[in-house]
Amino acid sequence: MAAHSDFAPEVSPVERRRDAYVWRLLVTGVCFVLFGIGAGVVGVVLLPLVRIIPAARERKRERARTVMRLALRLFIGVMHRLGGLTYEFRGSERLGRPGQLIVANHPSLIDVVFLLAFVRGAGCVVKAGLWRNLLTRGAVTLAEFIPNDSTADMIVAAAGALRDGQPLIFFPEGTRTRPGQPMVFHRSGANIALRAAASVTPVYIRVEPTTLTKAEPWHRIPPRRPHFTLVVGEDLDLQPYRAAPLPVASRKLNERLQAHFEAELERPAC
Amino acid sequence: MQSDDEILDRIRGTLVQLFQLEAGDITPAARLYEDLEIDSIDVVDLMDEVQRHTGRKVTPEDFHSVRTVGDLVAVMQRLLHA
Repeated sequence: MAAHSDFAPEVSPVERRRDAYVWRLLVTGVCFVLFGIGAGVVGVVLLPLVRIIPAARERKRERARTVMRLALRLFIGVMHRLGGLTYEFRGSERLGRPGQLIVANHPSLIDVVFLLAFVRGAGCVVKAGLWRNLLTRGAVTLAEFIPNDSTADMIVAAAGALRDGQPLIFFPEGTRTRPGQPMVFHRSGANIALRAAASVTPVYIRVEPTTLTKAEPWHRIPPRRPHFTLVVGEDLDLQPYRAAPLPVASRKLNERLQAHFEAELERPAC
Repeated sequence: MQSDDEILDRIRGTLVQLFQLEAGDITPAARLYEDLEIDSIDVVDLMDEVQRHTGRKVTPEDFHSVRTVGDLVAVMQRLLHA
């Protein structure tokens, strides 16, 4: 019976489950279901209304983005109030400016939910699979989000949206960070920034303990209640990158951007 | 009417300037991705240059079949005479 031996050394004991573990597991499951139901209500009732009420295409796009923002804001409120997570979002009032490229790291499944819930009128580059999913296709089409499947088309569309004065949310990692592995930023974000952004604003996202990462199923929830910290950083100064041709400049900016995020995320959120 | 050689010269100049490549490496048979390490993001920057040179609107579709510098010359010819 090795399990109860008094002589067993204490090697990294599994962290004790606390903060109402079973309740949080239930809440997590319920939230996935609620998200599905919410997406159904938005997709089947609200967005079709936006589509049929006569207005210019841009107007419909803005209405669709507003509907989605409020729905996601409600969803975050539900997750928070049911005790599934806690969060703080510092500096969100500086997001949503015309032509602003909002660049964020991507530790968890719901980072994009936070950004879309708090940034007014923003577009977003999202995975192309959302256009093939019946639940999400109508929403991403009407809101004119940008699919990330073809690099060239994505860059052209993203630059177009920024020149058009829309704020745009972009995750340079392309997909969620793999826990324990270094972040890898794709250069397309830096390229888009230099092409067309009026300003580039970083958002540093920390999740402690990690949850809903790339590597785990939904039911493997952390032993403690996760806390999300989203901090809006200072705008990046693009002037030093303007002189060189784009292929060279975007490589430099991308390296700088990634180093910037690594340094910032290394520190505690304080 | 420009000859393929004239266009190749212009492309060579552009690639040297944009990507800091060696002029000698830029032959019609050179493959953009494998030999010159020009990736899909660079191709968009290249499209802008082609647009500037030809004065024609260039779309990602025009570049879908481009693999080598020679293909690029052919696309330029087509755009110039479209």
